[in-house]
Amino acid sequence: MRILIVDDSSTMRRIIGNVVQQLGISKEDFDEAEDGVVAWKLFQEKNDYDVVLTDWNMPNMNGLDLVKHIRTANKTVPIVMITTEGGKGEVITALKAGVNNYIVKPFSADILKEKLDGLVKG
Amino acid sequence: MSMSQAEIEALMSGAEAIEADEVEEEAPVNEQSDEEVQDNTEETQENSPLPEEEEDVNQDDINDILAGIDGIVDDESEIEQELKEEVVKGTKEESMEDLIDSNQYPLPVKNENKVVNQLNEVADDSEEKASQIFDVLSFILDENNEIQNYNKNMEEFIDSQVVLLDALSKKFPNIDVFSDSLITAQNMVEASKELSAKVEGENNKVFEAMELMQYHDINRQKIERVMAVIRKLNSYLNGIFEDDNEKPEVQIAKHISGDSNDIVGAEDIDSLISEFSKEG
Repeated sequence: MRILIVDDSSTMRRIIGNVVQQLGISKEDFDEAEDGVVAWKLFQEKNDYDVVLTDWNMPNMNGLDLVKHIRTANKTVPIVMITTEGGKGEVITALKAGVNNYIVKPFSADILKEKLDGLVKG
Repeated sequence: MSMSQAEIEALMSGAEAIEADEVEEEAPVNEQSDEEVQDNTEETQENSPLPEEEEDVNQDDINDILAGIDGIVDDESEIEQELKEEVVKGTKEESMEDLIDSNQYPLPVKNENKVVNQLNEVADDSEEKASQIFDVLSFILDENNEIQNYNKNMEEFIDSQVVLLDALSKKFPNIDVFSDSLITAQNMVEASKELSAKVEGENNKVFEAMELMQYHDINRQKIERVMAVIRKLNSYLNGIFEDDNEKPEVQIAKHISGDSNDIVGAEDIDSLISEFSKEG
């Protein structure tokens, strides 16, 4: 299973990566990007990701724009938005843009595991 | 004190009259000085071993010498003035530093002191330290995994020893060492399981700490939000205080009627004028 983790905070990328590793996914099976521009480039180059986990507020290109870019090229790849934006309006905006699931920071590892399991099985 | 132009001119004319008197009084002193210098020069010339044709000193030479002396006096007064300026400047700098030290005055506007830059630095430093803390936590997890692996190997070995000792103690019930060793090995198995559970518990705490580190990212975003507010406020204040008027800046009045009780009254002005007139 190939995963793309997108967050401008290196600490957050490591936290998410750690949870992903707890699910039995090796470090070689996930990539990291610090903003939407890098993530979009990786997505286009590799084009083999099974899940995209992305933050919202990032420099250069934010998570919402990244989701819109990805959806123009790929309608099926599951995308989970992991963000501090906890407003109802933001959740609706993200869902309209094409995210499959939404997690508000701070989150527990169990929540992320549960959402990832649901996406993989679904 | 607020004074009209006429009052200032009156004061100035009084001061000029005083200066003129002073100059008149000083003039004979200067003449006397010239004479003294001339006498001294003649005395020096009498004692001097110089040839006779060089002994005559005319008025031009005296003037040259005096000019030289005046020059020296001027230089000294300039030095004194420079020293005074340096002392005043030093006092000003010291007092400014004192005010900054006592938190009465903000730090000078340099890049490192700007609020947004300071907040940015805090966010960056915090990110760096959070990464280092994560390194430490990852190290603990890795070490714990190593401990678990060693423990697993030991547990497998002790299990095999338990089977062996159990068989031996059954075959040789009269040899106490087998039965005693069997009990010890069984205790070791329990200890190994307990160690594994403790390491597992420690790992859970490390994962918990890693989860809590999300607050670093949340706090960083809160700092970024404050930075954004400051930037917007800065832009707004710049806009509202912007001066589009191209009129040159006018020198502002220092004392205006109504400012304080220290404003000079008409009686005070009259007494000042009369005082200066007397001196004149």
